Amino acid sequence: MPKAKTKVIRKDFTPEILVFCCNWCSYAGADLAGVSRFQYPPNMRIIRVMCSGRVDPAFVIKALKEGADGILITGCHIGDCHYISGNEYAQERFGRLHEIIIKQLGINEKRVRLEWVSASEGKRFADLITEFTNQIKELGPLKVL
Amino acid sequence: MYNDTLDYLEKIYEPDLRNLLKRCYQCGRCSGVCQLSKVQKYAPSKIIELILEGFEDRVLESGELWDCLTCNQCLKDCPEDINFADIVRIARYKMRHFANQNPDEIVAHKGIYTTISEIMSRPYITPERSLDWVPKGCKISDKGNVLYYVGCLPFFNYEFENLDSIATSTLKILCQIEKEPIVVFKEENCCGHDIYWGQGKLKTFIKLAMKNMEMFEKAGISKIVTACAECYRTFKVDYPNIFEDFNDKFDVKHVIEYIYEKWKENLIQFHNPNKKSEKIPFTYHDPCRLSRFLPKDNNIMEKVREIFKEFKDLGYDFNEMEHNQKNALCCGVSSWMNCNEKSKALRYKRMLEAKSAGDIMVTSCPKCRIHLSCLQDDFEDIASIEILDFSEFLINHIKLIKPDIKGEEKK
Repeated sequence: MPKAKTKVIRKDFTPEILVFCCNWCSYAGADLAGVSRFQYPPNMRIIRVMCSGRVDPAFVIKALKEGADGILITGCHIGDCHYISGNEYAQERFGRLHEIIIKQLGINEKRVRLEWVSASEGKRFADLITEFTNQIKELGPLKVL
Repeated sequence: MYNDTLDYLEKIYEPDLRNLLKRCYQCGRCSGVCQLSKVQKYAPSKIIELILEGFEDRVLESGELWDCLTCNQCLKDCPEDINFADIVRIARYKMRHFANQNPDEIVAHKGIYTTISEIMSRPYITPERSLDWVPKGCKISDKGNVLYYVGCLPFFNYEFENLDSIATSTLKILCQIEKEPIVVFKEENCCGHDIYWGQGKLKTFIKLAMKNMEMFEKAGISKIVTACAECYRTFKVDYPNIFEDFNDKFDVKHVIEYIYEKWKENLIQFHNPNKKSEKIPFTYHDPCRLSRFLPKDNNIMEKVREIFKEFKDLGYDFNEMEHNQKNALCCGVSSWMNCNEKSKALRYKRMLEAKSAGDIMVTSCPKCRIHLSCLQDDFEDIASIEILDFSEFLINHIKLIKPDIKGEEKK
């Protein structure tokens, strides 16, 4: 029989955030943020995908099920996609995910977000992560025990 | 809370599968009638024999039972009434928890819909469903007598079209007949059917059931009406297995039963405002959950046919398909498992039968409608058939017999 997962709640809540980065822009942007030594909160995990269009809504829902407090999907700016229209596809799919599934499940919409970060925007990437982490911290953990 | 779940689990779980199979005398009829065996190598009788001989672990390890459609055709023809679908359900729980198998890769639509139900089972989630589909002029409330249980329809909008019309037309029918406002929950949870039959997550199912039970009791409901075959079967048979008094507290009705009763009580009648001289042939697809999955004394199949007989004078012509009632063919996918070329072959077969029987195919399970209409995009020869839900078909043909008018005349 599998044991029930018990999570110790610390007084200072550190959110668990999942970030999907596209290989060509956002991942390079995250790289640049690191190389340029911009500071940003450490409580997020990056998953590199080839294109933001690769991020299936099923991944997002599964992450929420497994206990992620916030999910950020990043990709190239519209028009800059390495695969020409991958991010437009992501945008369209994300809209439906947001409107039909996340909202109707009663999960705060701010927890799931789609942003565009290009390879040269290291500073913006760091700022974005900081801002998003603060927002999730305000919202508190998704899993209220 | 956790102990409760384990207590309830004992009621729907049997650790030794052999106890359920002892009556089997290996006539092999189940393998003969199995609908899946027509398209792939699959033999229930062989699996039963292996389990009886003590090779249960080998069956579980092979992962073969994830393929079962749980259409219950084998139970219908079994001389000893062995419920193979129940074996599959329990085996799936065992495969997941003791053989460490995870079928997520083969679940249709990447498991989106089953994950949604799982999220809903968590105590800290309260869904906020959109009520955009509620037709104008229909009064709804949070508390009252009659509940319309919508099911997963609003979530299916993510990938499928035109499903809201099932909910809209069902609610329109209910509003016409009932005088009080109908209860529609904004925070309605999933009934747990797919998780129970397809995923083998029995504990999640129990959590959902407890959450639902609490919600129904709080709202003071006495009657549950649903338009979904799966929700109906789950409330009618599977919930009472967990809570003994469920059927005493709540009167569960499928929309077919509901309309039939009101028709017999002379509250409504059927009419056709746009009657044409030429009769339109139509047929009815029996969902497995409303035919083979119900107790023997339940005659919902005959009721729906009695209603359709009435349509003969209204410009429609009801034809049976080659396989009908308890022998109806499966729509190919059950509980979002295994949508592949084999299931498409099963669906194609069903659609060809429908084509030879009529222009319109009526069904009473939203998922049958999804699966069958999905195939119409792939094959042109079956694209002409119109697939409708029961309530969508009836919405324009129901007329209230008004007792008020009679009363006024007397005055």
